Amino acid sequence: MSMGNGYYFHGESTADVERTPPPGRVAIVLTGLAIGILLMGIQLWLLTVALDLYLSGGGPSVLVLTLISGLIFLGGLFVLRLLGRHPHLR
Amino acid sequence: MMQKSPPTQVEQEFARGRRRFGRWRAEFPYHWDADEFVSRRELLRLAVMTSGALFAATAGIAALNYVKPLRTASRQLIAPAPAVPPGGVHYFQYPTAEDSAILLHLPDGRFVAYSGKCTHLSCAVYHDQQSGNLLCPCHEGVFDSRTGAPIAGPPQRPLPRIILSQEGSNIYAVEEVPQ
Repeated sequence: MSMGNGYYFHGESTADVERTPPPGRVAIVLTGLAIGILLMGIQLWLLTVALDLYLSGGGPSVLVLTLISGLIFLGGLFVLRLLGRHPHLR
Repeated sequence: MMQKSPPTQVEQEFARGRRRFGRWRAEFPYHWDADEFVSRRELLRLAVMTSGALFAATAGIAALNYVKPLRTASRQLIAPAPAVPPGGVHYFQYPTAEDSAILLHLPDGRFVAYSGKCTHLSCAVYHDQQSGNLLCPCHEGVFDSRTGAPIAGPPQRPLPRIILSQEGSNIYAVEEVPQ
């Protein structure tokens, strides 16, 4: 962008766009991220169990696994929507 | 008349950069680091999308379980019962000509049949007369000949069982059922 004197500003740096959480909330944000990644790991495990059950002849338990995986996904969507409504919660 | 203030160090540096890299830098003024920066919000969005993909895959397997179950029913003559003595084995193809299967006459008099494809990587299993078990030569998987359950090696799932029916002296394969 022009600075009005013929020179151009250098542009954004990482520090310009990175917004750190307020003091004392870093641990909460990191814990939330860790729980999310852990839940995704559980979803991956549920997928492998479902595949194993299917190859073993299946049964109604595959539906239960799908239900649990869907609940985790809905939880993630809920958190994403919650953060969309409250941008200060980052 | 106002004196023009001397350019700052950053402005000097950028002016040098502009001469070196041309006009595109001025029109796309993002730092290299900022260009690859991923915010927590973007990471969360990516994680939710991955979660959705994992859910969709699990739901797909559940749907497949109902639409296309792995049970194959077709009636096929295997062999006359007297042709397989107690402790004997008879290899045949079931449910298609490309699928190997094994009929066993156990020492206790029962007839059992299993799919001949190892549940590890689909190698052909064979009956070992010495141990009485079913062996997979590829990775030394061992299956119990009475139940088809894996007892050694990498296989984790039992061999699919073939349901038999005996009419007169003939033994028929009726259905292949994963177990």
